[in-house]
Amino acid sequence: MTDGPARPGPGPLAGVRVIECGDPSGEYGGRLLAGLGADVVKIEPAGGCESRHIGPFLDDQPGVDRSLAFWADNVGKRSVVPADDAELGELCTRADVVLHTLGPAEAARRRLGFEALHRVNPGLIVCALTPFGQTGPWADYLADDLVLMALGGSMAACGYGPGPDGADDTPPLACLGDQAWRTASTYAAIAVLAALAWRDEGGTGQLIDVSAHECSASMTEWHLMTYLCSGAVHRRGPHPTLTAADGRLVAALNPDFLGPHVFAGMLAMLETEGVAGPLSDPRFADPVYRSANYREVWRALKRLAARHDGEALYQLGQEAGLPWGVIRSPEEVADDRHLAARGHFVALEHPELDRPVTYPGAPFIAHASPWVMTRRPPLLGEHTAEVRAEWSATPGGR
Amino acid sequence: MALGGTRILDFTRLGFGAQATLICGCLGADVIRVESTKRPDPVRVMPPYVPEPGSHGEGFGAATLANATAAPSPNRGGIFYKYNTGGKRSITVDARHPEGLALLKRLVAEVDVVTESFAAGTLERWGLGYDVMAAIKADLVYVSMCGFGHEGPDTRHVTMGPTAQALTGLTFLTGLPDRAPAGWSFSYLDHVGGYLGAVAIMAGLAHRRRTGAGQHIDVSQLEPATALSGAILLDALCNGRPARRPGFPTGNRRSHPPAAPGGAYRALGPDRWVVISCRTEDQWAALVQALGRPAWADDPRFGTLAGRAEHADDLDRHLEAWTATRDRYEVMELLQGAGVPAGAVQDAADRLERDPQLAARGHFTLLGNDEVAPLPLEGLPVRMSATPPRTGGLLDRGPPCLGQDNEQVLGELLGLSADEVATLAADGVLS
Repeated sequence: MTDGPARPGPGPLAGVRVIECGDPSGEYGGRLLAGLGADVVKIEPAGGCESRHIGPFLDDQPGVDRSLAFWADNVGKRSVVPADDAELGELCTRADVVLHTLGPAEAARRRLGFEALHRVNPGLIVCALTPFGQTGPWADYLADDLVLMALGGSMAACGYGPGPDGADDTPPLACLGDQAWRTASTYAAIAVLAALAWRDEGGTGQLIDVSAHECSASMTEWHLMTYLCSGAVHRRGPHPTLTAADGRLVAALNPDFLGPHVFAGMLAMLETEGVAGPLSDPRFADPVYRSANYREVWRALKRLAARHDGEALYQLGQEAGLPWGVIRSPEEVADDRHLAARGHFVALEHPELDRPVTYPGAPFIAHASPWVMTRRPPLLGEHTAEVRAEWSATPGGR
Repeated sequence: MALGGTRILDFTRLGFGAQATLICGCLGADVIRVESTKRPDPVRVMPPYVPEPGSHGEGFGAATLANATAAPSPNRGGIFYKYNTGGKRSITVDARHPEGLALLKRLVAEVDVVTESFAAGTLERWGLGYDVMAAIKADLVYVSMCGFGHEGPDTRHVTMGPTAQALTGLTFLTGLPDRAPAGWSFSYLDHVGGYLGAVAIMAGLAHRRRTGAGQHIDVSQLEPATALSGAILLDALCNGRPARRPGFPTGNRRSHPPAAPGGAYRALGPDRWVVISCRTEDQWAALVQALGRPAWADDPRFGTLAGRAEHADDLDRHLEAWTATRDRYEVMELLQGAGVPAGAVQDAADRLERDPQLAARGHFTLLGNDEVAPLPLEGLPVRMSATPPRTGGLLDRGPPCLGQDNEQVLGELLGLSADEVATLAADGVLS
């Protein structure tokens, strides 16, 4: 951690100074480090960073301090508009971590190249998060999240699959929300944590090279193994869902592979509900027979679904030990009683507004080192003078 | 390696928990999987199975489907190989045997971290709850990873990746307008939950370095996902614009910021697609140039980004007529050469056999074990200059065979002799 008087604060990374600059692809990584208590300073141009200009905006009124895209991933950070790249360089000599999204040429131009920074601040951890990494034949290619979701393999495996005529009439799909960027950002935070651990044990700073493409390519579960083992390529298609009485959809997974208790639990529930039908026949206890007659299982589940609303159907399945989940839109997640009891969503005051804003909070519960969630996203340049004074008063770096 | 010297006693199974310790293993932690021969990790014994050595055809993907129908060994479960690189070691200890439990308690004293992904309360029932472990080792970092976590009214609920995806909005956000969600056909949140599990482990270690104190960190599969919908959630909560509304989600079209053209376009070949995404006027101009300045591009409706976004259906039709007759990689190379973001929609075979970037970056590492010939496996997809992560971990080897390291681990950590280990095995303790 930083030598000299540490900035007081909670969290396992209290006292760790992080400089973050670049495009939106790395902002979630900075947010994770801020949640762990690091002092994350966002370096912005005078007109504000890119995400401040991305909507949607509060009350649909554009403005650099009203972007919800910016708010979502910049909770807990401070904002600094440096006078020039020389001042940014000066801040880097007093930092523990620099997280940026620049390729080698642009990094050198902004004086953020690793070799130069390392010479003046040998303990500095520089994490460069770029679409394809610092090396390789595609290093200079351009990609936004959608391109990364395509190349990484998620899209090929998401979508509606062939229609009744067998034709692929709908495209592969990517989830909204910039998932490849978020995965790369999360890996950036992981690598920074590891580099800090090593430095605490006497190691130096280092360059972390995060390729969002590689990160995106690593998140498709068993698809690579399926291909390696069988030669088969996973095709896209939705998971089975049940339609409840209120029209809501419930993801209805019945993982027989976990053991006979899975079907036993389901059967007991269906019998209690009076919709088991032929499933009470003992032959259905045999997984081979059941598999061959799976449409009867599905028919019984449809009879069940017709009797209940979505949220109730989800609870019924769970009470039977089945990993069912009602398909919720993001705002419906905020109403979840379990997450509420865990204190997950946090309302932060924005003093310049007439109301607080609710954000998703801690990604896990750590009572001894709680997630830090006290500072609303910064106004543009709000902390320029404050950080300048604080950071110049202490040596920082190592 | 970055986490060299850190030892993890790892009770995780399946994907979610194992992803967390895979990351730590690739960073140099000594990860000791505690397993059971009676109740093996389900992914050890489910298809697809890794083929016998020598049964490959031409190329890795050419193993025959016949190979995927037999389960000759708990060491061939294919999905196990996805989540258990990182040089993890495997010991088998029967926690329900009194001597097994005693052995586990002695091991707890020798490690920095305990990880597990059982249903809440399972370790307590064994007599190995956090209180018991903390009494053995006060500064232990204990990270539990299960569907709904260990606190709250619904801790008995169970999840798999798609369950958590449904409950947290991610299934909802994958789909075409005004149709049922398509969702993800795989467990994205097994990965995400595991990433945050790794963050939790390292956060716990960082807190211990600062304060000397251990703790129990409670990771669920839900909370790591709630921030993944980004501004869409805030738009609903702040502006009263729910995501559940007509025309939303928007398929591959993005409006914040808009890209037009932006989407997956049909390419030459069966079910082949290429993504093109232009967010700036420069990129649009470059695209038009690369296409050879077709007349349709002069349509005044396409003169601005806003106009192109408004008339995206027409724009996409024109563009797709061009892509549909061309190879997806050809389109990608041509457009990238011109400064237009574009990428082939790649499947697993493409990533392994056609992606020059992954190959150049050393994304795959050939690793095997006593039963399995080396095959290309993934680890931690991040390069670090001073402490390079290794997919084979400290031991530079592939995922462990079940119980492969009993003698080694028990000798090294507890000083047991080979004879003592053999006796424990004969008594059924190591099962």
